[in-house]
Formats: sequence, C-alpha cells, structure tokens
Amino acid sequence: MGNEITRRQALTAAASCIGLTRCSLSGGRPVVPRVSIVRAGYTQAIYDTVRRLLVEHRVDVRGKRVVIKPNLVEFDPGTTINTHPMLVHAAFEGFRALGAAEVRIAEGPGHRRVTLDLADAAGYFATIPHFEDHFTDLNLDDVSRVTLSHPFSRLNSVYFPNTALSAELIVSLPKMKTHHWVGATLSMKNFFGLVPGGIYGWPKNVLHWAGINESIADLHTTFPRHFAIVDGVVGMEGNGPIQGNPKPVGVLVAGRDMTAVDATCCRIMRINPAMVQYLNLAAGRGRLEEQNIQQIGEPVKSVQTAFELSELFRNIRL
Amino acid sequence: MDLPSIIHLQNHDGGWPYRKGGRSWTEPTVLVLLAQSVQSGDAQSRERGMAWLRGSQRQDGGWSPCPSVAQSTWVTAMAALLPPEQLGYTCHANAIQWLMEQTGEETSLAYRLRNRLLGVSPGPGETHDGWPFFPGAAAWVTPTAFAVLALEKAQRSQRVSAVDQRISEAREFLLDRICTDGGWNYGRSNVLGVDAPSYPETTGQALLALHQVPVAKLDRALAAAQNEARACRSSEAMSWLQLGLEAHGIEVTPPERKLECRSIMDSALKILADAALQGRNVFLE
Repeated sequence: MGNEITRRQALTAAASCIGLTRCSLSGGRPVVPRVSIVRAGYTQAIYDTVRRLLVEHRVDVRGKRVVIKPNLVEFDPGTTINTHPMLVHAAFEGFRALGAAEVRIAEGPGHRRVTLDLADAAGYFATIPHFEDHFTDLNLDDVSRVTLSHPFSRLNSVYFPNTALSAELIVSLPKMKTHHWVGATLSMKNFFGLVPGGIYGWPKNVLHWAGINESIADLHTTFPRHFAIVDGVVGMEGNGPIQGNPKPVGVLVAGRDMTAVDATCCRIMRINPAMVQYLNLAAGRGRLEEQNIQQIGEPVKSVQTAFELSELFRNIRL
Repeated sequence: MDLPSIIHLQNHDGGWPYRKGGRSWTEPTVLVLLAQSVQSGDAQSRERGMAWLRGSQRQDGGWSPCPSVAQSTWVTAMAALLPPEQLGYTCHANAIQWLMEQTGEETSLAYRLRNRLLGVSPGPGETHDGWPFFPGAAAWVTPTAFAVLALEKAQRSQRVSAVDQRISEAREFLLDRICTDGGWNYGRSNVLGVDAPSYPETTGQALLALHQVPVAKLDRALAAAQNEARACRSSEAMSWLQLGLEAHGIEVTPPERKLECRSIMDSALKILADAALQGRNVFLE
C-alpha cells in the first residue's frame, strides 16, 4: 500500500546530481571536506554573507528543487530557540539567485503541531514575503515509505515527506545549541524535523526507542544531497535545545559535509566531536579530526567559546 | 472558513485534507464530520466522508493517518469519536477493540519484564497505562486524551468493566503528567530534573478528557488553562482550551489578538469549540 522508495533508489537519484553530494572524488581519492566559518549578525549584511558562502562552496542548484530546513521548535519571541528568520530568508533568496527551479522552506516541529503559528511567532511571516506560499509543514505532508538497507538504528523503514524525498538539495539551517539527550544539536540532528509528526506523533518518540544517535545517523545517510548553514550568531547553551540560555557567538558555519560542519561547530562550542556519538556513527573518528577538514574563513580558535554543558555531558568538553 | 467552505474542499474520494488541495487524512476528515454534526451540514457530503472512513479502516480495526501509511495509529481514537450508527456498528466496535489492545511501550509486558530482569524500577510516569501516537513508542497526553474520550463514548451504549478500568488508568496517567505550572505539555512534566512548561493545546485536550474529574482536583490546571487562553497565539490551541474549559463549566476569556484559522482542521475545530460555548460539546455526547 502506498509509495515505497528504497534507499538504493534514493542513492541512485543522488548520484545523478553528483555536484551536490557531500563527498566528491578527485582522482579516486576523497576530497577533504571544506567548512566555512564567517562572522555574522542578524542585520541586512547577512544576505550578502550567505550569498558569498554559496559561491565559495560552488553550490550548483541551477534548475534544481531545493528545500531549506530551519529549526523551528517553540514559541519564542527572541532569537535563542529557532533559526533566525533573516538567515532563512537570506538562504531562500540566495538559492533563488543561483537559479534554483524551486526553493521551499519546510519544517516539521517535534513537540508542537501548530507549525504555522510557531512560524508566525518566530517572525517568519513578517520577514519572508508570502511565507505561507513557500512553506511546507513536513508533519502533514504526503509521505512515502523508505526502506533503510543497513540502518544504525532499530528502524527498518521510515515514512518521509514527499517534499523532502523529491528535493535535489536539502539545506539544513539549524541553530547552534546544546542538547540534553545527545550533547549538541546542529545540522545533522536538525533532520529529525524531516520525520513526519502526522505519522509518528509529537514528539517523534519512535526515533527515541530506535536510538536517538543511531536515528540521526540514519537520517544523514538517507538524505545524502545536503548542504548546511548553522546559525551560530546567537546559539543556546546549558539545558538546550529549548530551556537553555542565549549564547552569542556571532558566526555562521557552512559546508557540504554535515559531519564536518557539525564537528567544526563542536570545536567552536568547545565540545569534543569525537565524544558526540552520532558524529562517530556517521563519520567515523578519522573524518572528524581537525586536520581532515579544510577550514575556510575565521579560524576556530578566533571564535571559540565554551558552551555551558549539562551535568550529563560534562565529559564531552574539549 | 465557514462550514460550507469546508464542505466545498472535500476531496473526490470523500475525505478531507489538512490544507486545501492536499490528500485525504483521517484526522481532518473526522473533525469535519464532527463539525457537520453540530451545524447543519450536508447529508451527502457527510455520507461520502463516512464511506471514505469505512473504506480506509484497516484489517486490524484501526486507522492509519492517511491511506499511504500501512500502520494503524492513534487516529483510530479520533475515528471512534464518531457515532457508531453513522460510522457503522462493526467498524466502531473493531476500532474500540484495537484501542483496547494498545498501550505505551513503557508499560508493555515485554518492557516491564525486561526491566524486572535488569532490576530497574519503573520510572516516574511509567506506572499507568496510556496510549502512544504510534505502536511501539511511549504513551503521551494527546493520544491518551482522545482514547479516553472515545472509550467513554463507547461505554455510554454498552458498559464493559475492562474498558472502565482502562479509562480510569488513563485518567491517572494524565493526572500524573501535570506540569509544575498546572497545565500539560506533550507528556513530560520534568526532563532530566528540570520542570518543563505546559502547552495550551495539550492542556485543553487533557482537561477535556478529564471532564469527569472533580474540579477541586484540577484547580491549578483550570487556572493554568485560563492563563494560557489569555496569552494564546494559535487558533487550534485556543479551540482545545475552549473545549477543555467548557467541559468544566468555565467560560473562556479570549485573547486580545485575533487568531487566524490557517487550515481546514483549524476551522473545523473552531466550529466545534464555538458549539461547545453554545452548550454542545460533541466530544462529551
């Protein structure tokens, strides 16, 4: 019953747009992932900053369907919990300027089902003209079942929104935050929002029973055509991802390889990426090491600031 | 969006989508059919809707959220809110049977046995049976609240002691999950030692399901719901608060800002909440 897509089919489709994949090859050797760190604020300049990032990473989206996935979690008039609307708008305009056939903003919040009301309260309607016309609530989108061939988690198959499955590039736009279950929530954990609440509920507790870290790794391999821009202008420390405190860092972190982007964010937050379980699962320790990531822009040391960690995660301090 | 506009958006297959132009889903279809029962709806539209639901019931007696999903879930409780004489007596009885077989994974026999063997005591909130959104996951406030309402309706025509017992357990489950601020969130009042805040939509749903619990036992919850209503920023959430507070005879002070109905579901819920204010709470009939 219904549509079913195997991981093989998803990967075949991914290979058809090799320019967008996270791991391109040069002379048979894997290319070292490049990660940019740029200083930014929530000002008009963020539009130029994002455009420069996309050019710097040679993101070719001409004629392609792009889905921008922010992190929209809670009613929050400030800038601490949700991805800032100016960054979402800057990415939206940036990909349109690069010639994408379609750019959609899409999110499936994990706790609250009143997605559009959340987006309104977060300033998305006020900042992004005709926001509702460009937005898909992934919790209530039509779905297809995807079989996971070699899952890290206990899941054998997952229903995913067709908007996400048909995207030729998914752009993860998370907030730089600590997380009470996994240590840090960045571009990879942000993909929890691709799992539809309309099928699995609010919260998407099936993923917790299947193993949170393992599920994050599964989502990462299921959606290989991705790009990440992490909102670290103001992050969250302490009891994240909802009840923590604002942590101004003043940066955006971007790249095609989400494990490399998240590992870099961890270093900025003074978290040891090798101690973050889902990063290890998805990348393996070697690929997380600093010398295996080509850093562009600001050096990590110049923006590094220790995020307060909950008791449970004191041992992941770098 | 008024009822005629909602009826106009009925899909060719007889169901309703969450939003205009989408495919039919179980939850909005049930809510529109309920809305049609409190206002003079369209008999033909109603029958087409019921037929879609009857046709999409799964072999095991439950409903999936939408036809492309091959798994019965919590929306079965929503479907079981419809009158058996309209949905079909067998359909309804099978739905109730399916609900009775479900429980949160944390109170399942296998999980309890595993914990006993490991010497692990049940955690807070793991003592009472509730309902999960999706089989194999933990129980939460929303699916438990709707299961209570559906089972209570079923009990009105035929009393079964096992059903009574589940309802009573589920009420304890809900009372156990009250947040420090008095309301309910998705179902965790405390996360890793830190109090979690309540949400208006789940507070309204829980109060609705606890309509038979004495007001004295719900003082803080009712006060929290009234506070949440004043600050509410969502039409859907406001409707649940209205339905929940009205179930306890409390009139709601509407928020200052105008709340926009953004979907078919929002609009259907608003019709149901307004009807409750006029004295007809369809969830409690």
